[in-house]
Formats: sequence, structure tokens, C-alpha cells
Amino acid sequence: MSTPLFTAENLVAGYGGATVLHDVSVTVDEHEVVVVLGANGAGKSTLLSVLAGQLPALQGSFTVDGKTVGQIRPDIMLQHGISLVPQGRGTLAPLSVLDNMRVGAISRSDRREVEADIDRWFSVFPRLAERRDQIAGTLSGGEQQMLAIARALMSRPRLLLCDEISLGLAPVIIQGLFETLREINAESGTALLLVEQNAQLALDIASRVYLLEVGHVTASGTAEQFRADDSIRAAYLGY
Amino acid sequence: MEILLSRVFAGATSGSIYVLIALCLVIVFRSSSTINFAQGEFALFTTYVTWWMTERGIHVWLAIVPAILVGFLMGAAAERWLIRPVKKRDETAVLIVALALFTGLNGLDGWIWGSDDKVFPRMLPSGEGSYITIAGARLHYDSIAIIAIMFAVVGGLTLFFNRTSMGLQMRAVAANPESAALCGVRVGRVLTLSWGLSAALSAFAGALLIPLVPPGQLGLAGMFHVLIFATAAALLGGLDSVKGAVVGGLGLGIGLALVNGYVGFLGGSMSLTVALVVIVVILLVRPTGLFGARRLERV
Repeated sequence: MSTPLFTAENLVAGYGGATVLHDVSVTVDEHEVVVVLGANGAGKSTLLSVLAGQLPALQGSFTVDGKTVGQIRPDIMLQHGISLVPQGRGTLAPLSVLDNMRVGAISRSDRREVEADIDRWFSVFPRLAERRDQIAGTLSGGEQQMLAIARALMSRPRLLLCDEISLGLAPVIIQGLFETLREINAESGTALLLVEQNAQLALDIASRVYLLEVGHVTASGTAEQFRADDSIRAAYLGY
Repeated sequence: MEILLSRVFAGATSGSIYVLIALCLVIVFRSSSTINFAQGEFALFTTYVTWWMTERGIHVWLAIVPAILVGFLMGAAAERWLIRPVKKRDETAVLIVALALFTGLNGLDGWIWGSDDKVFPRMLPSGEGSYITIAGARLHYDSIAIIAIMFAVVGGLTLFFNRTSMGLQMRAVAANPESAALCGVRVGRVLTLSWGLSAALSAFAGALLIPLVPPGQLGLAGMFHVLIFATAAALLGGLDSVKGAVVGGLGLGIGLALVNGYVGFLGGSMSLTVALVVIVVILLVRPTGLFGARRLERV
């Protein structure tokens, strides 16, 4: 078995005295698409926040390429190739689209290739290209989500963490975003770890699934196994 | 016409001074949403440093360099070891810390250098015949110089914010510190640098402005009025906008010069009151100022 791209083991995390994650472990292989399913409040966003180095874990360890990551901070996780598209997009509202993209590349040392990457993601998201000088706060919800994804990609991640990118968007937009993510995964080999309420769509592009229930991983397996499981279908797919 | 013009010139001169200190307030406010009431005292302390060096025979334009460095270190240290630890626990307590810095630094100045006024060397050309005449009104060289320096500083800051990576990171932190951190911006480092930059600029401004504001000498009260006018200017402009600080500072300077000149009973001792009235009215009517993006929800 090859070394996984990323592992997080025995994570315990929470906010102020309330523990949200209890002993959670996840693994993502190179190029893999993994989805974390779970109800509201199961701890999905907390998990991604910990993985991105935003929320300090109380316990647990991380490895990238089999090597332990010592200090956990967003800028260090980015340098290890782990980038988060946060829930609610988190675009820098008063900055232009272009500046948002540039901020996304702050963690990189190869400044020269940044502009080329901006052009690359503008060609993937032409609507952002049209609005490059516009203030991010004036974009529509779908455009802001595109910007959040493009900005996260500007760090050249090997693993992109996506927190509920379908939230509050029209179905046709969501479809497009997932299509784009699938292409990015196929073309750049960027691994994806998706947290989704829209389980149907996520299962379509994912190869592996974790089920998170009240802060515990209660099941994991391939996407086919999950699609075939009647209780999962009833609980998360609604048919 | 002649009198009007000379009043406008005088207003633009003091306005430029307000702009310089207002810019320092803006740099800090943009990144950490805090009005640094100790800004004037940073400027005063470092101006004493400049003066102390000139007393040792160093030319004032050379003496200002180490003072700017001292300013940078003071600002950075204040953010890192005073403001940040307190802010973590209580937003509003930051205000008290700034006030403590205000009185503490002023006391320190007096303890080190004494409370008697010092003759501070003029950095800008001045003298009997050093003025040009425009439509009968005199425009002194030092006025021209301070206005030019102010615009140069504004130009430099604008370039810094819009063209450099650190400037971009400062804007990102100002917009949304959590998101900026997720993009890999080291938010703490950016805050420390903004405070350092701001205090360094106030070290430069302090030495320039001391000879230009009454009483024209370096004393312990030298920055009180300037800080109040600069705060009014920054608020008028919107606290987080460089352009706002320029418009606010010049507007306030010229406005006050005209009010002082034409509305007899408001002249002289009342001009500080006028500035404070401006502050109160802005807070009531338009808390975001003329160009500000954010509401003044936490100070």
C-alpha cells in the first residue's frame, strides 16, 4: 500500500469546553475524492477547520506524505498543500476579484507563476475573468463561491477541502461547480475532501465516504457501498 | 481675496499636518479596528529622540532616521506585547491600554527630558523672505514643503497598499482576518508591522510638525491638539481610507482656518471645540465618514 497523501488521526476538537469531534481519523490518498457526510451539527465544518489549521485540535496528529506535521497553522498547512474553501465563502469583500486571487497565492514562494495561475483559473471560471476588477462583495453568491474555490486553488493545493460549497446556490450553479471540481481533480490531480449536505451530488464524484455522526466517524467505505446501503440512502439521500 | 487666500494657505498647512497623523491612525485602524489614542505620544516620544540627537550635534534630517527606527520598534512592541494580549480577552479594554500608553509615554518624556520646552530645529526652509506671493497672499516655503511631503507620503502609502505583497496582506487582514489567515497570511505579523509602520510615520511627522504648530517648540503638550484634530480628520474621512484622511485633514484644516478667520467668536480658543463638535456630529450622523467602508462598531 502506498503512503497516503494526508492523514489525521485521533482528532479531538471543540469550542470553549464543548467537544465537537471525538477521536476522529481521516485519510486521503493522492488524487482521491473523499466526501464526509453527516447531519447538521455532526462536526463536519469543525473537522475541515481543524484540518486546515484554523481551529487548533486538542488532541490528534497529522501526517503529509507519511511525515508528521509538527506545528498546525493555516500557513503551514498551505505549505504542505492543504487549502480550505470555507463555508460561507469568506471572500475578502472590499478587495477586487484579482486581489482576492493574489491573496490566495500568499503562501507560495514562486511569485512569478502567480499571474499565470490567475489566468488559468480565470479561464476555468470565465465569469470571474469578466469581473476581475470588480469588488468581491458585489459578486453574486455563485460567483463568490467560484472566487472562493479559485482563491483556494491559487495556493496550488494537493488537497482541497471544500466546506458545503452548494450552500444557498441554485441547482444549476451547484451542478456546474461540481463538474468543475471533477475536472480539476482529473486534470491537476488535486485530491478533494468534500463536506456536503447535498449527498447525492457528492457521492457522484466521490470514491470514498466517511459518515460523521455527533462527532464520531460511524461508518466509512467506498461510494458504491454507501449508495447501495439502504439506511444511508434513507437518511442522507432521501429515496 | 488676499486674506481669504492666506487663510486657505494657513489651513492647508495645518491640514497637511492633520493628514499625516490621521494617516497613522488609518494604518492602525485598517488592520486592527482600533483607534490608537497613543499615536500622538508615539510621535512626541520619537520627536524627543530626534531632538536629543540634534543636541548631540547630529543634523536634524539625519537624527530623524534613528527616531523613525525607534518609532517602528515602539509601535511593533506595543502591538505585540500590549495590545494583542489584551485584545484577545476584551476588545474595549484596548482603548484603556491605548490611554495608558498615552499618559505613560508622556510621563516618560517628562521623566527623561524634563518638562521645559525645547527649541526644536526647523526641518523645512523658513526665514524672512522665504515665501512666494500668489495674488497678494504669502505662501511660505515651509507650507509648500509640508503640503508636498504630505502628498508624497500619501502617494507612497497608496503604492505600498496597492502594489506590494505586504500592502495586499494588510488590506486582506483589514477586510477579514479569519479569511486572510486561511489564505496563509500571518495575521499577527501583519498587525505588528502595521503598528510599526504607523509609529514610524508618526516619528517622521512629529519632527516635521513640531516647529509648525503653536508654540513652535517641543513640549510635553505638543501633540494633544494635533491628535484631536487628526482624529477628527480621520473620522471625517472614514478611519480606514487613505483618501478619506487626505480629504478630512485638508477639509478640517482649511475649514477651521476660515471659521477662525470669519466667525469671530469661534476663533482661537474655540477651534478645538469646533474639532470636537465635528467628531461628535460625524459619530451621530455618518459613523462611516466620507469614504469609510466599515461601521465603527468596535473601537
